[in-house]
Amino acid sequence: MTVALDRRYRSVPARLFGSPAFRMVGKRLLMAIPIMLGVSVLTFWVLNLIPGNAAQQLLGAEATPEQIRALEAQMGLNEPAVSRYFDWLGGAVTGDLGRSFVSGQDVAGQLGERLTVSAELTGLALIASVALAVPVALLAARRPDGLFDRVSMFVSVSGLSVASYVLALVLVLVFAVRFAVLPAIGYVPFAEDPVENLRGMVLPATAIAVPLFCFYTRFLRGDLVDQLQGQDYIVTAQAKGIGPWQVLLRHAFRNSSFGLITVVGLNLSTLIGSTVIIESIFAIPGLGQLMLQAINTRDVLVVQACVIVFAVVTVLANLITDLLYAVLDPRIRYGSG
Amino acid sequence: MAAVEAPAAELGLAPARRPWGRKLALYVPAGLVAFVLAGCFLGPLVLPIPAPVGGDVLESALPAFSPGHLLGTDPNGNDILSRILYGGRASLLVTIAVNLIGLFVGGLLGALSGYVGGALDTVIMRVLDVLIAFPSLVLTLAVAQSLGPSLTNTILALAFFSIPAFARVSRAATLGLRELPFMTAAQLCGTPWWRVLLRHVAPNIGPQLITFSMLGMGIVIIIEGALSFLGLGIPAPDPSWGNMVAQGQASLSATPDMVVWPSLALFVSVLAFNLLGEALRTQGSVR
Repeated sequence: MTVALDRRYRSVPARLFGSPAFRMVGKRLLMAIPIMLGVSVLTFWVLNLIPGNAAQQLLGAEATPEQIRALEAQMGLNEPAVSRYFDWLGGAVTGDLGRSFVSGQDVAGQLGERLTVSAELTGLALIASVALAVPVALLAARRPDGLFDRVSMFVSVSGLSVASYVLALVLVLVFAVRFAVLPAIGYVPFAEDPVENLRGMVLPATAIAVPLFCFYTRFLRGDLVDQLQGQDYIVTAQAKGIGPWQVLLRHAFRNSSFGLITVVGLNLSTLIGSTVIIESIFAIPGLGQLMLQAINTRDVLVVQACVIVFAVVTVLANLITDLLYAVLDPRIRYGSG
Repeated sequence: MAAVEAPAAELGLAPARRPWGRKLALYVPAGLVAFVLAGCFLGPLVLPIPAPVGGDVLESALPAFSPGHLLGTDPNGNDILSRILYGGRASLLVTIAVNLIGLFVGGLLGALSGYVGGALDTVIMRVLDVLIAFPSLVLTLAVAQSLGPSLTNTILALAFFSIPAFARVSRAATLGLRELPFMTAAQLCGTPWWRVLLRHVAPNIGPQLITFSMLGMGIVIIIEGALSFLGLGIPAPDPSWGNMVAQGQASLSATPDMVVWPSLALFVSVLAFNLLGEALRTQGSVR
């Protein structure tokens, strides 16, 4: 009782900064820092396991050891790994990711352009998969074990078993080769021609979205059925005489949506993984394609920057998931339960 | 919690609503898994099929159902059926090894973390958080590239991401057990921690982890395929489903068969493992 009164008379900033949601967000932000550091150390360590370094790779097999040593010294590769890591980290914190050993271009600049391309692709896939999964899961959960439920579950288990790269090739075969209605390769920037750009995104985004759609549908349907069958508030709502759709949407779905948000956030790393492959199949100049090219040329700084960006995005996505939780769920907003 | 209920209580006491459907849902995928395993591991020994590499160029790109080559040959004259079976052997070997490593190493780490708790728990979970923060395929690509493409290295690269997944499941299951009476009883008897883990925790979290590994099999087959597809898994002349799809991609419009057969093999195996995992999850004591 006293707590409730206290809260009412506190000033706005005090209410904001002292609120459980704010404390939770702050805690999560602080926790993200050591994770990011760990990710960068791990990346650096993994890439330094590479047997032949960038100097060797650039000069080719015929290079004399002296030439290699000279180039190594020029590129700073002869310094111990620990000091190179701290040099790199110092730059990275200020936004300087170094210059590519291979192309000589500024790494941060290269990443910027490509990040928007990848963001468009993953964004489209994510929106499409969630927008389709929600109505399908609701219809399926409306009558568990009904015809629609069985068909949709069969489709989603099958869809989950299809690798995105296989699906991509099937889509190319059908829509680009047989019927020639959509382009398979040839990326057009959005600023140049929005329609062509979106047409080019249809097949790659579908290849990424289908497995995700299946995963979300299955998860949401399962969660909805659990809510409908086991929860007291559902019985209360039904006893009040609320219609079945209202119960499903206003009561069960509202609760299940938290689970869905978590799953979407956690699943983002899978989404990013399939983006890497799909970009290389459809020749889309995104971050994934850049990373694969850099892996093949042993362009360590570029690979490192790409991996870090992917990891930052994943950590941020999980953070945003938690934030959404705090905003949407009154139990967390008010710090009870 | 669910893991400690005896399976009999759930299967025997609660009347099964569709006993036949339930049996089919378990036995059909189990049979399919057995078929895939037998086909890939025993098939090449029993069936009269040619070697997967070193084919005759004169026999290149034969269509399906050609004499002596049931599924035809690839541009190098290698028998496609043979490549699918041997390729499946490589893919499944990698998948099984990765899941076993995940099951034992990850399971142990998670159980230790959950049972001992305190600083050890914090350290293990923070390290795993870092690994989980990584998009798994990106990490696997980096590891595979730095180790160089080979069967063993593919296994190591993939184990990197299966260990944290298993550890999380195992830790959560162990936390659910920690306060139960039989655990307290074991501790009061002065049982050393390693014995508690082996004799009391492991049998209880085992079923849950095995179910999880069935679902993991499908995922690992797909990711192994992706690595090989990108040329970072099983190196090229040796077959694997992933590199067969990649090889077929080059001539997709002319000979789609080359992509269709390995893709089908990939799909059927993943589906079998997914359905089996699903059936175990819904029908066993594990939820």
